[in-house]
Amino acid sequence: MSKTLGKNPAVLLEKIKESLDRLNEKMEVFIELQKNERKQDFVVQDLPEALDVMTLLSLPDHLRKTAVTICKLGRATAEEVAEQTKRARAVESGYLNQLVLMGYLKKERKGRKAYFFVEK
Amino acid sequence: MGRIVAVHSYKGGTGKTLLSVNLSAAYAKKGKRVCILDLDFRAPSLHSIFNLSGSEYWLNDYLNGACEIEKVLLDYTPQCSCDGTMLVGLANPNTEALRDMSSKDRKWEMRALGRLLSLKNSLLNDMELDYLICDTSPGLQYSSINAIVSADVVIVVSTIDQSDIEGTKRMVGELYNLFEKKTAILMNKVPVEFLSTPVNRDSVYKRFENTHTLPIMKVIPCYCDVLRAGGTKIFVRDEPEHSFSRHVEEIARKIENF
Repeated sequence: MSKTLGKNPAVLLEKIKESLDRLNEKMEVFIELQKNERKQDFVVQDLPEALDVMTLLSLPDHLRKTAVTICKLGRATAEEVAEQTKRARAVESGYLNQLVLMGYLKKERKGRKAYFFVEK
Repeated sequence: MGRIVAVHSYKGGTGKTLLSVNLSAAYAKKGKRVCILDLDFRAPSLHSIFNLSGSEYWLNDYLNGACEIEKVLLDYTPQCSCDGTMLVGLANPNTEALRDMSSKDRKWEMRALGRLLSLKNSLLNDMELDYLICDTSPGLQYSSINAIVSADVVIVVSTIDQSDIEGTKRMVGELYNLFEKKTAILMNKVPVEFLSTPVNRDSVYKRFENTHTLPIMKVIPCYCDVLRAGGTKIFVRDEPEHSFSRHVEEIARKIENF
């Protein structure tokens, strides 16, 4: 440990930050699920759901805004979605992860960034 | 950047197509670069109005992912006597194509939404068009809602028919507002006597505005000349001095500032 720290403390700090980011995201999903008291509805689905316009219409307002933004952007991070919706990044991250749990979006990590997209 | 305008209505026969065509012609006349798309895959009609036989590819093919949008668009500029550019994207009117389009599943519709959304880049950014006008199918159809989601501005055409007014009101609350769209209403085919004096006109505007809780962009009288033409004339081009053409040009101006 001290050897790694001695070699490059910046790398280690980056790794800690990355882990904290992931932990944060998980917490955000958890909080969001509790807030909505709909945990039972958000069971991870085996089959991906189609995010068509009728589905968009049936989503609650806060999730619809996020889902429409992802449809427009194609593939984006929570930060990029937040720029469009003018809501906080943490809020969008929670909503995006909820949409992943519902089976409407896919999530892919590249380094420190998590990208969300609709699987076509 | 240019704008996407979806022209929609609750019921059929409200004048969506005629207004879309004339609106496109009005922009082209003003020197704008405009494209009109026939997104009414249940009852395509632009091929007939523009008297075009179609090209190798239709909008159906673009949405199917079989070609790029450039392959679909036909250049109507020489026929439109305008300073700008007018492109047309046709829907395939053959019965087999109508059947095929009515049997698409949700996954296909989801991909079609993605293809429509990407027109913002390909047509407005890359081809530098000023306006993309989407003529749609009435009511809650997949192709229409896809167009509404893709649009920057939604123009809803309604007649004074009570069922039309009530249906339009429901769609405002349960469709356009949910997608947070800039929406305006056009009242079309309104009997001339309703608009015969300024007092009558004001009361008509107030009545419609109170019902819809949305801006009434324009109240267009019912013109026998328009009905008589049977959809074979582009009024803005063929009869520029006609009141209907003047109304359309004013709508075009209002959309620019909307």
